[in-house]
Amino acid sequence: MSDPQTPEPRLSPPPHQPNVPSPVASTGGPAAAAGPAAALAAPAGAPVVPGTAPAPGAAPALPQTGPDEVALLIDDRPVVVRKGTTVLQAAEKAGILVPHYCYYPGMSIAGNCRMCLVEIEKMPKLQIGCATVAAPGMVVRTNNERVRGVRAGIQEFLLINHPLDCPICDQAGECRLQSYEKDYGRGFSRFAEEKVHFPKRYDIGRSVLFDAERCIKCTRCIRFCDEVSQSHELALFSRGDHAIVGTFPGRPLDNPYSGCTADVCPVGALTWKPFRFKARVWFLKNVPSVCAGCARGCNVNVATFRNRIHRMTPRVNAEVNTYWMCDAGRQSYDTLYSRPRFERPIVRGLPDATVEQALDRAAALLRDTAKTGGKESVAAIVSARLSLEDHYMAKRILGELAGITRLAVPPHEEGEDDHLLIRRDKTPNARGAELLGLGAPSSGRVREILDDVASGRVKGLVVVGEDLLDLAGVAPATLDRLEALIVLDAWKSPTVERAHVAIPSCGYGEFEGTMVNFQGRAQRLRAALRPPGEADPAWRILRDLGRRFGLTSEYATAQAIFDEIAAKVPAFSGLTFRALGDLGAPVRGAAVPGAAGAPGTVA
Amino acid sequence: MAFEPLLTRNIHRPGSESIDVYLAAGGYQGLKRVLKEFTPEKLVEEVKASGLRGRGGAGFPTGMKWSFLPKGREKPRYLCINADESEPGTFKDRLLIEKDPHLVLEGIIASAYAIECHTAFFYIRGEFHQGYRTFEKAIAEARARGFLGKNILGSGFDLEVIVYRGAGAYICGEETALLESLEGKRGYPRIKPPFPAIVGLYGCPTIINNVETLANVTLIAERGAAWYAAIGRPPKNTGPKLFCISGHVKRPGVYEAPLGIPFLELLNEHAGGMLHPSRPLKAAVPGGSSMKILPASKCDVLLDFDSLAAAGTSLGSAGGMVMDSGTCIVGALLNLARFYAHESCGQCTPCREGTGWIVKILSRLERGDGRPEDVDRLADIAFRIEGNTVCPFGEAIAWPVDSYVKAFRDEFEDHARRHACPMRAGA
Repeated sequence: MSDPQTPEPRLSPPPHQPNVPSPVASTGGPAAAAGPAAALAAPAGAPVVPGTAPAPGAAPALPQTGPDEVALLIDDRPVVVRKGTTVLQAAEKAGILVPHYCYYPGMSIAGNCRMCLVEIEKMPKLQIGCATVAAPGMVVRTNNERVRGVRAGIQEFLLINHPLDCPICDQAGECRLQSYEKDYGRGFSRFAEEKVHFPKRYDIGRSVLFDAERCIKCTRCIRFCDEVSQSHELALFSRGDHAIVGTFPGRPLDNPYSGCTADVCPVGALTWKPFRFKARVWFLKNVPSVCAGCARGCNVNVATFRNRIHRMTPRVNAEVNTYWMCDAGRQSYDTLYSRPRFERPIVRGLPDATVEQALDRAAALLRDTAKTGGKESVAAIVSARLSLEDHYMAKRILGELAGITRLAVPPHEEGEDDHLLIRRDKTPNARGAELLGLGAPSSGRVREILDDVASGRVKGLVVVGEDLLDLAGVAPATLDRLEALIVLDAWKSPTVERAHVAIPSCGYGEFEGTMVNFQGRAQRLRAALRPPGEADPAWRILRDLGRRFGLTSEYATAQAIFDEIAAKVPAFSGLTFRALGDLGAPVRGAAVPGAAGAPGTVA
Repeated sequence: MAFEPLLTRNIHRPGSESIDVYLAAGGYQGLKRVLKEFTPEKLVEEVKASGLRGRGGAGFPTGMKWSFLPKGREKPRYLCINADESEPGTFKDRLLIEKDPHLVLEGIIASAYAIECHTAFFYIRGEFHQGYRTFEKAIAEARARGFLGKNILGSGFDLEVIVYRGAGAYICGEETALLESLEGKRGYPRIKPPFPAIVGLYGCPTIINNVETLANVTLIAERGAAWYAAIGRPPKNTGPKLFCISGHVKRPGVYEAPLGIPFLELLNEHAGGMLHPSRPLKAAVPGGSSMKILPASKCDVLLDFDSLAAAGTSLGSAGGMVMDSGTCIVGALLNLARFYAHESCGQCTPCREGTGWIVKILSRLERGDGRPEDVDRLADIAFRIEGNTVCPFGEAIAWPVDSYVKAFRDEFEDHARRHACPMRAGA
């Protein structure tokens, strides 16, 4: 496990990697003090490329700046940043992590933890890096003895009333208090008094539990509820060391984004109930992926342990979800475990059939039905929850090779688009289906097919990734009229139980693939789990079915399929599977007006 | 040199709080003079020339503070009057508010004219019930006589004064916490910069002045900067001052004297000397509870901003506290620390956690569970708070702790060594 799952952007070295001391001593002394000052006084001569290390003993010079830029020295490294950038952000740009608790990108500056105090030349007091705006020629020291001394003091203050229950704390391993204590703390306590006591299991909301003793009052959670979710449930009550985060009478922490309060909590005070005591974080394997809960496609880390997802947390993507994700998405993996999975193929009349036998039977049924009833008598319903690769193979195999002309994609809509991330469209890849020519999700087209099934005009139906009986107004008797019902799905749904042939496919987190969100951004989902039983990605099952219809192309991986899509479908031209990386890329001409960019501020 | 009372000239008149008595004594003449003879800019210069320094605690030159306002007029400007007097041992503003509200109000109107502000907020400590009623009445009287409202005294200048009562937090006397409180929020000091003169109340340029400061503006309006600047110890410590004195003295109270009066004169002549003849002076905090303590040997000081700074303490709000030889310094500090721990707003780490820790250590020392390392630890905690907090509250606890321990280290060590309070044991 290389990176503990933290929702924060890790743009700079983690705190346990001490900043490399610069060749010029930064610990004071007249010579050292004269160095940077002399550099500032010197006229800007040859421009220095930022990041080039000054020769040992030479005074680092400040690079020239554009009109909207500011050059400053941080720990003797020249940094150029946009006007308005804070010292903390500028340091981050220079690869220097200024430790902090209360600062969080995308929210207002509170300046209360005092951990990011740094020394700035010509200012008698230390200044907080999070709120001090970088000024031209500023000389900042983030790691000298004075600064480290203050950090040790802050650490001590934060710990005197903090319970040392790390062994049973879910945050242990990704706790700021722990890591900064290792870097700056004294390692033992001088506090010989009774700690202040608070409620330990404060049921603060539907999905979040609060341990008020662990709280360091950084107010990140309060600011999140005020500024991001805009639900205003949390506030600080009481004063001094008795201050406690709490809710108002009758208004628990219950908003669609409440889980983010646990993400932003730098300590173990707010914990996400479904994750409590599930796994130690250092055992978790984090797989960068994308949530499939709605058309937003929030970037996430899928954390697994022993082939089971234990949590999903937001991964920063300025274009899609910034720093956040919704609670429904966070627990969207629950469906993997809440319904019985479908693990072995089913062929009616053939017990213990193999996948090969199932595919043979499916191909034969499709051929026979088309022969007796004509092309119009076979239809397919393909889910918009499948990947782009699945869609492409559905179109290629079912549409082109098996000759099915009637393809429909059912919509799944619920609620409304909200101010932040949640989309009414609950299908994660409707744009992808549309771009590949499967058509946009349409209840009308699905309805027509089902009406024709009821009237006997459609006798053969292929269903990929949908439970038809879950759709409104479909009676089980309708499906019983079919002569050939072929189903690919991850769950043992009532549709699967009525199928003539059913083949298990992968569920969320079990396949590699891409999806296109509502903004027209292609993003990669990564396999985090081994699929159960004989389940396979739908594209692979469809490919193997295609072999029965004369398919010769190899299509060995999702990557190969995506790259063919990029070569053949104009909207995807110029993209490669690899180049999508962790953050995805917009498809050509697919941007939805007004949908570009993500809500909230990106620092 | 006999000193004629200026700030307290009316307080002994019967009905001193009414506008009739105030007018009969020559009140509002200064305002009339200012509105007629001065442009706002000239009045700012006049206050600068007077050398008036803020009476709230920091002693910042008032005219200079006013001149920090941005030149633009895109946003309204506000004047906030800090009447949230809550420092232990300080009770001077209360006297002015209850006994001579028009002296304050006249200064408010003149100051608002100088900074071109048309809405002033009078933020009064919630517990000042009497002061609140008196001041509301004074405002009504002044409006009825044309000193407030539209076109004051035909000058074309408009002003409304709104009284707002605090809800009982000491921290709301800190100017930016006061603004937050006034805006209806939790009283948390703001991060500075930006300073209130640039971004203050409701995001607008705001000046916050202490009650006594504004009463002094009335004097300057009446008789001019040159006259005012000759009072006290010119050039930097000018004007009259209200000195509070409490503790082990015969006549605790508020006394007016020019800045620079010797502390011992205030103690012995105004306050009548020590309470018990057998118990001499042990220590005093001349500036108020959040300032550094002076042992008796160092109490021969002049009471003004610069003399006290040179003596290692500060004039603060001039809330002098006197302790005689019967005082346990550890107990006195514990009493003080309890106040600060109770009043710490809890916003930033060092003050929130440090104040409580200090109280716990002092409680142990005082009840006889002290340890030798406690003494250094107290000083170290103070050191780790000082300068690292959002607002000056950090210094308000760090300075007393540090100075009490430094000046009376023996007594602290004695507590730890004997596992008891020696004063109590002997009593």
